[in-house]
Amino acid sequence: MDPLALFTLQVLNALSLSALLFFIALGLTLIFGIMRVVNFAHGAVFMLGAYCGVAAQTATGSFAASLLAAPLAGAALGLAFERSALSRLYAREHSAFLLVTFGLALALTEAIRLIWGADARQTELPAVLAGIVFVMDEPFPVYRLLLIGAGGLCWLLCWLGLQRTRLGLLLRAASQNPTMTAALGNDVGRVRAMVFALACALAALGGALAAPLLSASLGLGSNVIIDAFVIVMIGGMGSFIGTVAGSLLVGFAQTFGNFYVPELALGMTYALMITVLVLRPGGLFGRPE
Amino acid sequence: MKPADPKLVLLAIALAGALGFVLPGHATTLLTEALILALFALSLDLLVGHARLTSFGHAGPWAFGAYIAAAQLLVLQIPLPLAVLVSGLATAVIAIPVGWLCVRTGGVTFAMLSLAFAQLGFAVVFKWNAVTGGSDGLAGLPRLGLPAGREVFLLFVCGVLAAAYLLAHGFVTSPLGRIVAAVRENEQRAEALGHDPRRIRLVVFVLSYFLAGVAGALYAGFAQFVSPELFFWTVSGHVLVMVVLGGAGTLVGPMLGALALFYAEHELSALTESWGLALGLLFMVVVIAAPTGLMGWLRAAVGARGR
Repeated sequence: MDPLALFTLQVLNALSLSALLFFIALGLTLIFGIMRVVNFAHGAVFMLGAYCGVAAQTATGSFAASLLAAPLAGAALGLAFERSALSRLYAREHSAFLLVTFGLALALTEAIRLIWGADARQTELPAVLAGIVFVMDEPFPVYRLLLIGAGGLCWLLCWLGLQRTRLGLLLRAASQNPTMTAALGNDVGRVRAMVFALACALAALGGALAAPLLSASLGLGSNVIIDAFVIVMIGGMGSFIGTVAGSLLVGFAQTFGNFYVPELALGMTYALMITVLVLRPGGLFGRPE
Repeated sequence: MKPADPKLVLLAIALAGALGFVLPGHATTLLTEALILALFALSLDLLVGHARLTSFGHAGPWAFGAYIAAAQLLVLQIPLPLAVLVSGLATAVIAIPVGWLCVRTGGVTFAMLSLAFAQLGFAVVFKWNAVTGGSDGLAGLPRLGLPAGREVFLLFVCGVLAAAYLLAHGFVTSPLGRIVAAVRENEQRAEALGHDPRRIRLVVFVLSYFLAGVAGALYAGFAQFVSPELFFWTVSGHVLVMVVLGGAGTLVGPMLGALALFYAEHELSALTESWGLALGLLFMVVVIAAPTGLMGWLRAAVGARGR
């Protein structure tokens, strides 16, 4: 195969992986930015999205339905969890969040096992998405191109939402100074609940998008959350642009690492995270705590 | 919180050891595993409870100690007690550079940095097939230098646990341990008094990793098997749950938390298939409703009766 074509395909693969990871990492960093919560359950929500997507597609026969059902389920769960558990903990130190979200991850994984069983699940893509296109005369799955597009669209919408809307303004204000934001008459509690629900919806959407590619399985959550943590820590917790950069870095490191140095690829991501955190404890684009 | 009376704790550990001669074999094995986890939780409490450094990577020293022990038992064929000690020391040595990098940070960054180191260990053992057996792990570890029998192994674990508890208790109540508490409560003031917070934290870090390495080595001897899963982040989460469930910063609490969680998992999994769900929900309730954990409850109950 032409080395340039091979390289191009790897770049596209890396971009599609980055796009998937971006969905989960963005929610994680939003949650951290606004409420200083490290959400260990975010991987489980991603997994829930994958299962809900598969279930919705099985029930309705429509892939679009799965992309609708998953974020709705994610948002509902996020809202319920924030209101019933997290909102009682904001006065406590951060380890309480670590623990309560770890509990949610545990419970959610088990709930999924009870509902859908221990076997991995996968569905067929609609014909129009299941095909291949030729990139520099080499075949490439259409679906991966769609993922890149979806990731890019999500980036654009979230960026516009944060920078150009009143809600985005409120989010940024609550992230920088919650007390002052509340003093100006804004309901910071509602902002937190909305952000948490939105972040969970994004993760679940990512899960539904990942389902045709990775299939929905019980290990999905605990594997993907680590990648998401790496991204968010490298980029800087709470930084939007950092999350974009981190997703690309990890997506490319994993894809190219797996292709060229398969033995070192897994360790490389963690070594990257350690290096960044040691040199810049706040991440590449973040502020130190 | 005031530390519990060490004599009482030692008595309880001795009782647990004696149980091995009465209990049926299966129950003895369970108790042994539970006590090893108690040691693991004790080691983490030094970091989380005493230095308030929330580590989310304690699977790192635990698995590292286990693998070092496995290597010694398989290759060098040395007695298990010696292997356990050497594993603990090796873990302490590796903890110096790791800790030096980790304790520069605090809070979430510390948690994530310790997690990254544990995951790096996972990646290394997972991929380095020739030495670590890769995803299959290393099986058939011999228990050399100990007379056969479950009750003997239980006694050995109890002995190590008692020694570890005395070490941890001695450290916490020592002048150095008081400085650790001072750094935890007010870093600026401790620094103004001439203490280097980073060096103080490093001491706790190394001691905690030493004990976790010992616990991991014991576990390798107990299970006679090591695998990369020992390094996985869910293990770190689990032991952190034990510490908080029991009551961080009390030494005894986390040990009780480990026993409680271990037996709860065991009993619930026998009762119902949805035990994981029940446990996750129960755990969320405990974190929200009882910030001081089991020890807080116990203290409140004893205090109420005393009055």
